[in-house]
Amino acid sequence: MNPTSPADIVCEFGPFPGNAKVHGVTYDGEVVWWASDNKLNALDPASGEIVRFLEVPAHSGTAYDGKHLYQISEGRIQKINPETGDILTTIPAPTADDNTGLAWGEGSLWIGQRDGRKIHQLDPQTGAILRTIPSNRVVTGVTWVDGDLWHGTWEDDSELRRIDPHSGEVLESLAMPPGIGVSGLESDGKDRFFCGGGSAGKLRVVRRPKRRTHAGGGA
Amino acid sequence: MDSLITAAASALAAGDPLRALNCVALREDAPALALRGIAMAQLGDLTQARHLLKRAARAFGPKQAVAHARCVLAQAEIAFVSRDLGWPVKALAAAQAALEQNGDAINAIHACHLQARRSLLLGQLDEAERVLRAVEPALLPPIRRAAHEMILAGIAMQRLRTAPARAALVRAQAAADLSRIPALKAEVATAAERLDAPVARHIAGGKERLIALADVEDLLASGTLVVDACRRVVRRGKVVVPLASRPVLFALARALAEAWPNDVCRTDLLRAAFQAKRVDESHRARLRVEMGRLRQLLRPLADVLATSRGFVLQPRQASAVNVLAWPVEEEYGAVLAFLADGEAWSSSALALALGISQRTVQRSLDTLAAEGKVQWFGRARARRWTTATVPGFTTIMLLPTLLSDG
Repeated sequence: MNPTSPADIVCEFGPFPGNAKVHGVTYDGEVVWWASDNKLNALDPASGEIVRFLEVPAHSGTAYDGKHLYQISEGRIQKINPETGDILTTIPAPTADDNTGLAWGEGSLWIGQRDGRKIHQLDPQTGAILRTIPSNRVVTGVTWVDGDLWHGTWEDDSELRRIDPHSGEVLESLAMPPGIGVSGLESDGKDRFFCGGGSAGKLRVVRRPKRRTHAGGGA
Repeated sequence: MDSLITAAASALAAGDPLRALNCVALREDAPALALRGIAMAQLGDLTQARHLLKRAARAFGPKQAVAHARCVLAQAEIAFVSRDLGWPVKALAAAQAALEQNGDAINAIHACHLQARRSLLLGQLDEAERVLRAVEPALLPPIRRAAHEMILAGIAMQRLRTAPARAALVRAQAAADLSRIPALKAEVATAAERLDAPVARHIAGGKERLIALADVEDLLASGTLVVDACRRVVRRGKVVVPLASRPVLFALARALAEAWPNDVCRTDLLRAAFQAKRVDESHRARLRVEMGRLRQLLRPLADVLATSRGFVLQPRQASAVNVLAWPVEEEYGAVLAFLADGEAWSSSALALALGISQRTVQRSLDTLAAEGKVQWFGRARARRWTTATVPGFTTIMLLPTLLSDG
């Protein structure tokens, strides 16, 4: 089953003067971090303002493990101390230039490949690929919430999709309005998704639908 | 090619536009038009140069692909000197391809350099670097090599990385010496001087001194808490709290930082933040609110503690608090602060960010432009503003090799 419903965009931030693009997006429980080439910006979702930023290379996906930020930049994944901006370690990304979304979940890093149309589960210490989930569409942002794996896709049209983390089967999708794409994706752990808008320079909040009950549920 | 054209081309290549003009001044054929255009550009008459080169490009036509491409390069360079960065870059890429196909490697590299300079002016440092990576500087003739190193120096200076900037300028100097072109040597020397010139005022423990780019780099890397009035941010290392759009909070932070490690009394804070001559209860209430906001924003970097007479800054993970300001305090500091991030801004974005009217922003920009502190490119709504800190084009860089081998 693959129920599609329109994405409910609750609000929209940006474009932010001086920041052209929104790449990766993550959330540390207080601020939304998003990547814009040479900065990781911290946005207060209550006021919509950038309250601080870190001067680190930030060209692609972003994730948060509860303590550290992870940021893809040109074939590497940097582990960053959000209090100092220091890069603590660096692990190689699966490819030099086809890495998009990044998420933390189940003790692993999950990285989306745009043109490769797949999501890899990575060992966060070494960058080794533990497992690969195929997708039939371009993968942009990736996020885990309540044990569900969601990713953004952005071709002619754009969607948020919940997929089976084993088979890659699409279980549910939220269609973005025409002309609005999703680059980075992150959930706040509750009822909101934060979606990067790529070169539109916007950050959008999309309502997360109530979990649908599966046939034979609870498995 | 006839002897006068050859003579004019070699004069141009040697940086002597007047001698070149003597050879071809009255001629209207395509090569002569091109040489006249370049000579006029080197002499600084860009309007006339643009006109001549357009005619030359048309006269050569697409059949004489190399000559046509070289004219396009000259037009691009003049456009970028005039900060007309909206000039069609596709034409430049096409010219580069034509030059590569026809074995004019040096001018193809010149096209690369033009693209890199454009990116540098736009604040797209990664892109400028990417373009330059395709060029092997050791193999270049002196003039191109000097140009290459100057762009590298410009990128490093924008990144506040003095050591690589200095190294690039030393290499540029060596290449300029080899070229024996006085104007090129002078240009490199000017850029080198700017590296050591005072760029900011450093205020610490009540004492002030002027400091150069290298000192700014050291200060920002030192882990000191810096209230940076040039960019209107509070920062420690890589962690930055932007306050450019919050002038009251920035004024409070700066007053606290200038007094550190001492506290500042409420009356002085009110004066700094609201220019209040006489203080009443409503001001005190407002100060409490603003201090609450400042405390919230500065939390990752410092505590703002209340004392018996006012407030004091207590940095986290930092041993000291310093202030960085413009060498001369600017009336239009807020506008400059936004532009100091190296991005190209529209006046409407600046107005939005500053929370003031576009008319006011425009007035500030016009004044700053007249003083040579900011520069613009593009027309009408597409117009963008940047600080004038990027080493610019000078006319000596204009096409010294355009026709010298053909």
